[in-house]
Amino acid sequence: MSIFIDRTTQVVIQGITGAEGSFWTRHMKDLGTTVVAGVTPGKEGQSVEGVPVYHTVRRAAADHAIDGAMLFVPPRFTKDAVYEALDAGITKIVTIADGIPLHEAIQIRKAALSCGARVVGGNTSGVISPGLAMMGMFPFWIDRVYKPGRIGVMTRSGSLTNEVTAMIVRGGFGVSTLIGVGGDPVPGTRFAEMLPDFEADSGTDAVVIIGELGGTMEEEVAEAMEAGRFTKPLVAFMGGRTAPTGKRMGHAGAIVSGGKGSVTDKIAAFEKAGALVADRPRLVGDLLQQLLSTGRTTTASK
Amino acid sequence: MKLFEYQAKEAFAAEGIPIPRGLLCDTADAVASAAAGLGFPCVVKSQVLRGGRGKAGLIRLVRSEAEARSYAAQLLAGPHEVKKILVEVAVDIDREIYLSITVDPEAATALILACADGGVEIEELARTTPEKIIREKVDIDAGLLPYQARNLGYTLGFDAEGTKRFVPILEALWRVFRKHDAELAEINPLFVTKAREDKPARIIAGDGKLSIDDNSQFRQPGTEPDRSHFDSDVAFEAAKEGIPYLQFDGDISLMCAGAGLTTVVYDLVNYEGGSIANYLEFGGPNYKKAVRAMELCLKNEPKVILIVTFGTIARADIMADGIAEAILKLKPRCPIVACIRGTGEEKAVETLKAAGLDPLFDTEEAVRRAVALAKGSQGGKA
Repeated sequence: MSIFIDRTTQVVIQGITGAEGSFWTRHMKDLGTTVVAGVTPGKEGQSVEGVPVYHTVRRAAADHAIDGAMLFVPPRFTKDAVYEALDAGITKIVTIADGIPLHEAIQIRKAALSCGARVVGGNTSGVISPGLAMMGMFPFWIDRVYKPGRIGVMTRSGSLTNEVTAMIVRGGFGVSTLIGVGGDPVPGTRFAEMLPDFEADSGTDAVVIIGELGGTMEEEVAEAMEAGRFTKPLVAFMGGRTAPTGKRMGHAGAIVSGGKGSVTDKIAAFEKAGALVADRPRLVGDLLQQLLSTGRTTTASK
Repeated sequence: MKLFEYQAKEAFAAEGIPIPRGLLCDTADAVASAAAGLGFPCVVKSQVLRGGRGKAGLIRLVRSEAEARSYAAQLLAGPHEVKKILVEVAVDIDREIYLSITVDPEAATALILACADGGVEIEELARTTPEKIIREKVDIDAGLLPYQARNLGYTLGFDAEGTKRFVPILEALWRVFRKHDAELAEINPLFVTKAREDKPARIIAGDGKLSIDDNSQFRQPGTEPDRSHFDSDVAFEAAKEGIPYLQFDGDISLMCAGAGLTTVVYDLVNYEGGSIANYLEFGGPNYKKAVRAMELCLKNEPKVILIVTFGTIARADIMADGIAEAILKLKPRCPIVACIRGTGEEKAVETLKAAGLDPLFDTEEAVRRAVALAKGSQGGKA
């Protein structure tokens, strides 16, 4: 089982003829993803990794029943590409672009919500269900880092994701679906919005959240747990406990301002909701063992 | 990127927001003659990016040419790296208002914040009198609608005549916010002058803050950051080459890839009792710039360079090639701890070994080794 993507998801790659687009198209296909079409304006008739290229998403959608769009499009053209996918009725959109203008990120999220679609990203590695399919860029072939399994993962960070999934594998587990919501201040999808899917997924026993300082996405997850909307065991990995306030530690979304969004507050919210919190990557595997071997659940811990 | 007050006010004025008459100067003599021209008393304001300028003594009301000159000389020679000074006429104030437009990332919307009691920083208002802060969400596609501006005007205590003057100012601030891709466009205080028999009260921007979204800088001409935006010369040098860099004052130099991983390595170094000299972003488009990256790190004269990456697009083998080349070219005297993983890691390991390093795969082990080396070392220069 998986959420968001499986082998039946028919994916169009926007920006397929670029270096990254073609490289990752190959890997997505290698994993088993159903890539049916690519789009690069002006390049219709070409083929990339055996995938036919179209001028526009509308033209691709005329030939294929597309339900997922994977964007390898530079940040400044991402709004256009997302709206193009939405206009073609595509409801699952993943954008890796790092550097989407802030005002456009707001417009993208608003447009997606009004269409009932989901945009994952930007500034993310995307979505993967190891052993099944991916819309994104993950080195799934390194098997000490990615293995199929029953742990759902949500993350704001690309680089930290590999670090933490390696610890999940080291703990004897694997990943059902990993959703990279991305490191931007206004992401297309927030952690809490994916919780119902993980809750309903019979292939997911527990969820690992890779959180960060800044914003309130982690607090929203804790709220959902407290309200009983999410009942599976949850481990939160929280980096940034010692980060200096006011300095921007990389992600624009990861700035602590006015005491809001501090790691201490997030850890407290998680613990109050019954989640286990890891402050070192290695602890993620240990805590999962603890949760899943004793059959402890978040509701039982209250 | 934050702009200086004078730049923010230029942007405000261009959209029709009234600002006090003033002149931008860069010498004490220029300040003295500007002050004399504007008349006394007038306000001498240091153009620095830090907040709380009033409390820090970086703004002063002056009453003579001599006072203007000596205060300006003191500012220019002082420790705050003041390069430019704005001299403005003093405004006859009746009251001060807080007004800003920002982004509410959680609600994914533009947001107006206003408060009838201005002049205090918004963080202070949020702490002391949160109930007095007025919030108005603005749909970024529809834009600020006139009724919203009218509502704000009346809520801020303006009468019908005052609201008529306030509405165009708020509309102009909205245009500034959108046109400049702002994270924050703030007027604090927004002065309301005393009404006189012959003329009604006027509304004037007493201060200006404008912060441009970094992701939009490509379409915001004339907003390249200068040295004053950075903590150190090295940070400025790195930024000119597009390399994200943060300056600290410890002894372990970090070359890491990715914001999340870096934040964790930063934590782990602190947990182990080590201290960070700097963080340099070695990932993203910089993964082929190992030589330059190491050169910048060495300017901190670190005791250890700690490299931690887990790259997907930023290939481990290419990073390792770069590190090997950097060692050959720069001959660093401090030890290097490398934990370079991800796409191409098998080849990376061989390259690093050939370069005389002992490549690691575990982040925590790499951090422990770096901290131990830094503690054991007597310090080494490059």
